[in-house]
Amino acid sequence: MRELSLHILDVLQNSLEAGATLVELVVEEDLAADQLVITVRDNGGGIDETTLAKVVDPFYTSRTTRHVGLGIPLLRAAAERCNGDLIITSQVGKGTMLRATFQHSHLDRAPLGDMTGTLLSFILGGICDLSYAHCVNGRQFGLSTAEIRAELGDVPLSHPAVREWLREYIAEGERSLAA
Amino acid sequence: MNLREISEQLSLEVCAAEEKLDTEVTGGYASDLLSYVMARAKEGNVWVTMQSHINVVAVASLVNLAGVIITEGTKPEPATLEKANQEGIPILATRLTTYDVAGKLYELGVGNEGLTE
Repeated sequence: MRELSLHILDVLQNSLEAGATLVELVVEEDLAADQLVITVRDNGGGIDETTLAKVVDPFYTSRTTRHVGLGIPLLRAAAERCNGDLIITSQVGKGTMLRATFQHSHLDRAPLGDMTGTLLSFILGGICDLSYAHCVNGRQFGLSTAEIRAELGDVPLSHPAVREWLREYIAEGERSLAA
Repeated sequence: MNLREISEQLSLEVCAAEEKLDTEVTGGYASDLLSYVMARAKEGNVWVTMQSHINVVAVASLVNLAGVIITEGTKPEPATLEKANQEGIPILATRLTTYDVAGKLYELGVGNEGLTE
């Protein structure tokens, strides 16, 4: 895919489909180690060992509408193309952890892309709490929708004023990392 | 024009699903980004790419492509060929670049009726 954020949205979607109520997303950019690492942890239904071996196979899918599932295979190919790898561990009933590693400076590494839009579309889906951290060389921006919801009380995250504030807050946080 | 004629004209190496070479080709699409091929290639197109991963077969099967031409002398992986045979997706290989293959396909009249918007 053209941007890593599209892969991230896809993985977050998998967590939703696994019935997760909390997803932790960490993006770590370490230029000294020349690595970009994306980690997603959820508390969804988990994947049993037999199925886990198959999720990197593009001809495996839990969907019944078609016989091809490319989310994880495409992310793995993207990571491997950039001297990285993809690891998934899971426990049934507890959740799943996915980690994709890329050589940060690799010419074929897609840019991270639009994290603001990606996070917003997931958060405004409103089904699942998100804990997000983005670290660049030790500097960090993050947010927790559980904390924000607690602060908001009865006002939903999807309230137009909240949505606008969220967009600005995330965009500003991401900008501060790029500076 | 079908894939067999294209294969002969461009001297391509047939690597998988030879029995499907008589499939009529409706046009062409060239990209190495699989997500774009999924979204934009049309059924019956021949796809030109230098990617050779098994995901290529999955995308070709999903979009119902006529076949795949793998360029730049890239050797298709054994797993790719095995799956392509199972799925009936012809895989053709060449040392030519993607640019040159697309040019030659155009000359042959494959999908040159009008530009894709």
